[in-house]
Amino acid sequence: MMRIGWTGFSAMVAAVTLAGAVAITGQGQAPAAGRQGGAAPAAGRQGGAAPAAARPAQGGRAEDGKPNLNGVWQALTSANWDVEAHQAEPGPHPEIMGAWGAQPGGMGIVEGGAIPYKPDALKKKQDNLKNRTLVKVTNDPHRFDTGDPELQCFRPGVPRANYMPFPFQIFQNRDQIMFVYEYKGSMRTVFMDKHQEAPVDSWMGWSNGRWEGDTLVIDVTGFNGHQWLDRAGNFFSDTAHVVERWTPRGANHLMYEATIEDPAVYTRPWKISFPVYRRLEANAQLVEFNCVPFVEEMMYAPIGLYNPPNRSSR
Amino acid sequence: MRNRMLRIASALTLATVVALSVAVVVAQTPSRPKAPPKTATSTDAAIEASAEAFKKSVELKNFTVPKKPWGEPDLSGVWLTATYTRLQRPQELGDKEFYTEAEAIAEYKKAAESDAEVDPRTVHYDWKEYAMDAWQGGATPNLRTSLIVDPKNGRLPPLVPEAQQRRAAAAAAARERDPAAGVKTFGNLYTRCVLGLGAIPLVRGGMPGADSAATAAGVTAEAFFFQSPGYLTIVMQSNNDVRIIPTDARPHVPGQVRQWLGDSRGHWEGTTLVVETTNFSDPKPATNFLGSTDSLQLVERFTRVGPNTLRYQYTVTDPKTWTRPWSVDTTMPKIDPSLIYEFACHEQNYGLMNVVTGTQIREREGTRDMRGGTFARPPE
Repeated sequence: MMRIGWTGFSAMVAAVTLAGAVAITGQGQAPAAGRQGGAAPAAGRQGGAAPAAARPAQGGRAEDGKPNLNGVWQALTSANWDVEAHQAEPGPHPEIMGAWGAQPGGMGIVEGGAIPYKPDALKKKQDNLKNRTLVKVTNDPHRFDTGDPELQCFRPGVPRANYMPFPFQIFQNRDQIMFVYEYKGSMRTVFMDKHQEAPVDSWMGWSNGRWEGDTLVIDVTGFNGHQWLDRAGNFFSDTAHVVERWTPRGANHLMYEATIEDPAVYTRPWKISFPVYRRLEANAQLVEFNCVPFVEEMMYAPIGLYNPPNRSSR
Repeated sequence: MRNRMLRIASALTLATVVALSVAVVVAQTPSRPKAPPKTATSTDAAIEASAEAFKKSVELKNFTVPKKPWGEPDLSGVWLTATYTRLQRPQELGDKEFYTEAEAIAEYKKAAESDAEVDPRTVHYDWKEYAMDAWQGGATPNLRTSLIVDPKNGRLPPLVPEAQQRRAAAAAAARERDPAAGVKTFGNLYTRCVLGLGAIPLVRGGMPGADSAATAAGVTAEAFFFQSPGYLTIVMQSNNDVRIIPTDARPHVPGQVRQWLGDSRGHWEGTTLVVETTNFSDPKPATNFLGSTDSLQLVERFTRVGPNTLRYQYTVTDPKTWTRPWSVDTTMPKIDPSLIYEFACHEQNYGLMNVVTGTQIREREGTRDMRGGTFARPPE
């Protein structure tokens, strides 16, 4: 294990606490891959090879001995259609979208199978599903009493961003870990050093993180209450509290688990879990998905603001 | 460096956009911001502090660039892209490339005071009420009389003929009809929340004396530089635009992959990070930077020259727009704290529908447009 170049006491602590470490280091990662070019302090231990030109680290350990999560990742689940188990269905517009618009079936990611909604909340979830393609553009907060925010290119919130059918990239240093999601280029910073209460409500929430052994634990609060969990209308409110756990299970996959607590909506906290895989293509990178221009016609044409009015017809 | 809290609160207000509902925003803010620092409430205090920081940065010698644990020079932090310095040198300054230190401070003072002075009859926002004027946020004086250093006259090179034709055609179309009469024809990407203000290039110059602070120096002009092994990632406060810059010399994406912010590749030359960006999209009905096309190429150079100063140089090339490449050399001051806040622009874009609706009404009534022209009354 030491070939990864752990240093000092923290490495020992990590080695003692972490079974996962064996898996991480046992995947034949090139030792130098965990090190960047330049004056990495342990570079000399890698057989004296000059560090290669900076190549983003793959797996292994970061400079501070923590698991190195840098990289492009993606979940392979159909949970964005429905976090609960679901069968294949035609999409909202089968007359034009055919198989393209259809929903794949899936086993769901909810532990125990069903979300423990309170009765009123379950009713709202069912209404959400019925109205999921409703778009209502107003210049007041009623614009959020509509269908799935994803349809309108709104930020997805957490945990949904992690299981949308898009890759995301993790950027890690000692004090902060940043997640950038290909969908909409949404991002969030996880504060490892200075924890604070969410200063204001937001779509992506406020993330305070810590390491528990090799598990990255992120406490997410400060949601604005507009988030949906999927296209099926599952949701939480602005009192939601999400605790995420990211645990490496090898160089190229993580187990993701999130506990979702929201006394306004659920009778008890509940959990989701699924694996997240590294995108291994040599040229893997996020490709811009700025969806605002993709939704403008849908949002503004029905209220007469997309096409300039035809003056000759007046 | 300045305490940014007050400005943050206001950036959020803006993000909540231009909303009718200040009350909503206030209700959402759980904790009261601390009392604002003097530099946010008094132009004199702000100008004095900026002048001090400026003098210190000019005097600084033998600065050793701090390094990240993995060996790369440390560029991380939040850097301010707002500046009162004009992109192009005012004609009357001729070949004068530099101000004296005293002149630079005097220019800054003039610009800051005019920025703070607002005619309530014409103003859209009085940005200083949100602590968003550049003098409140840590903008610094500049010895240079213009951002452009090449050509030597500090001015943009002439347009090529096809760019002149594009510009003339756009102006003619706008005389015929305001492009804001429909989202489809509306080229203002910021009003549409497609892009924020100035992610690439980062520093675009100010227009001191302009009656909107947005053009006087720039607003929500914080650029968060997040460094991790092999990457510099820049997140803009404005619209939270994200630029991911790998520094491992990998090739650009294929030519058919076009992006609003282009495709950036970085490499280190000593302590300077050199970033080349290509693959810009054709953002019709808008244009790329300053009327440029999808042939735009940008080379940026980032060098930490002081604890709180990042030198920022860039060269712009677009053979379909300018007769020759041109270059900028400027600096960005570091500000605290090192984070940015969510800027959910599109989600709460109440402004766009108001702008488009208003334009359609003006057109229908045959009233004057905002640029001072008159719309032809539609045929009966």
